[in-house]
Amino acid sequence: MAFPLPRGIVASEIAFLAEMETVTVVPRQRLEGLELLGGPIEPLVPPRRASLPLWLALLLKRQRRANIIPPSWLHPESLSLILEVESQHQDYKNAFSPPPPLPGQPSVRDQGLEPTARPQYTLDGNRYYAAPPFLPQNTAQTTVSSGEPPALPFHWIEVGNMLLDSASDDLMDPGQIRRLLKDLREVRMAKMRSGVDVLDDAAMGGGGVALTGVGAMELGDERGFLSGVVDGLRKIGASKEQARREQLAEQRANGGYNGTQDEEEDYMEF
Amino acid sequence: MDIDDILASVDRGPGASPESAALDHQQLTRFWIAERAVSEVLPWPAPLMERMMDRVRLQIETIEDLAASSVDTNPSHNSTSHNPNLNLRLSILQTDLARTQYIIRSLLRARLAKLTKHSMHYLVQLASRNKNPLSSASQSQSQSQTQSSASTANVSPEDSVPDISALTDTTPLSGPETSFVHAHQTLLAGHYGASFLGAFPRQLRRLDDNAGGTSMVQGPELKEVVFVRCLAAQVNCLMEGEGDGVDGEDGLGDEIGVTMRMGDVWVVRWDGVRKAWERGKWNCCNV
Repeated sequence: MAFPLPRGIVASEIAFLAEMETVTVVPRQRLEGLELLGGPIEPLVPPRRASLPLWLALLLKRQRRANIIPPSWLHPESLSLILEVESQHQDYKNAFSPPPPLPGQPSVRDQGLEPTARPQYTLDGNRYYAAPPFLPQNTAQTTVSSGEPPALPFHWIEVGNMLLDSASDDLMDPGQIRRLLKDLREVRMAKMRSGVDVLDDAAMGGGGVALTGVGAMELGDERGFLSGVVDGLRKIGASKEQARREQLAEQRANGGYNGTQDEEEDYMEF
Repeated sequence: MDIDDILASVDRGPGASPESAALDHQQLTRFWIAERAVSEVLPWPAPLMERMMDRVRLQIETIEDLAASSVDTNPSHNSTSHNPNLNLRLSILQTDLARTQYIIRSLLRARLAKLTKHSMHYLVQLASRNKNPLSSASQSQSQSQTQSSASTANVSPEDSVPDISALTDTTPLSGPETSFVHAHQTLLAGHYGASFLGAFPRQLRRLDDNAGGTSMVQGPELKEVVFVRCLAAQVNCLMEGEGDGVDGEDGLGDEIGVTMRMGDVWVVRWDGVRKAWERGKWNCCNV
């Protein structure tokens, strides 16, 4: 077979993607800048912080050439705050805590505002908006943006675990962080499971189920189950959907006389 | 925006601008995720892939030059202070190269798997879109058909494989993929013919039979669900109307379903967001 893996990226591929996240390091030795295929790497000059992709930061960390500054969310205080929101807060009984906003996206508190994202342009002239893992969601912030609540980035499980494995000496109280990550994962897993009831919406044409705030690895765990359930429901509900289509088409046919003739011809084909 | 800068960077050739390398890499990664997530073969991004392949080639040359220089300088004068750094640089460059190559390889293999699974579907799709009465393709096809209907014997399953030798527009496939899928299907048809179809009555030997209104050519299931993140201000999930065919009037019978807002992650059916994805890949991305 040309390709053995199932449809939808699997756990190892998600971990691979998470390694493209950008983290902040403090280098211990000099290294001149490099032109990589994934983009340029800034020169490393020891006391100065630098932003590197996670795979490179881990490579340098294992060789004791750099220290990783953990992202602000990977801290016992932030994590317990998120856990509290996740488990106690009324608004998030059945939803995940809000993810960090995309650039230009209004934050949770000022919902009414229009997004003000500015696109980049690709070489083919298309507009391009960056998305995780290519957003600085895991860098250490130099200025603490006041009032912005801590949020779990898209690749939180993977980044958290990789940093715990390879750079636990750079973290504040790794044991506590490990416990909190596990608690968070369990709380959110329970939400994911309890959401199965509404999956019927996604099986209908035009419908969907929101999973905003979900993490990449959580999606990866449930991808096979969710898509299996939805596909099963879709097959069961196919006649229901057909009936709804016919009803809608009928409404449209009754709405105006101009198009009636044509649309009736359309039906005849079926 | 500074579109002029971008145009200038294009003029400087592939790999000239470091920022464009980063952007291309992000696009490639996103396309790879999308290709892995959906059941059909997505349109081949030819310019992007050409740039990526050029970059990979250049990077391999750079690495070879660096490696050669390290071998050259090592015995002649012992530059011990420089050497560990050179090894580090080499290993970083090689890791980066391997990661990019992994994405490209996985992307191509995922496409090949889809192509081999539904090879007849894609061939028929290609042939039907490129119907040109003057082209040699349809001529030879009609020739073969008249020949097959005239002669009493020798109808083989290979005759039902569409001839696509004269195609100019091979979307959604790339050129090599098109020839691969044709060769694959021809081999398969020959094998079927030799092993069991040859024993069938003549009218049952074709592989694209659609007697009774049901086509026996199976395509990918477009109604399967995907996980998408909305990147534009809002994207409507559509219920595709039945009126619009493959190239019929766009969106005649579409009903607007749920509305996704920026930053949301949704489970939706692929046929619902397919148009938004095609219209602009910035509207939503698979996760």
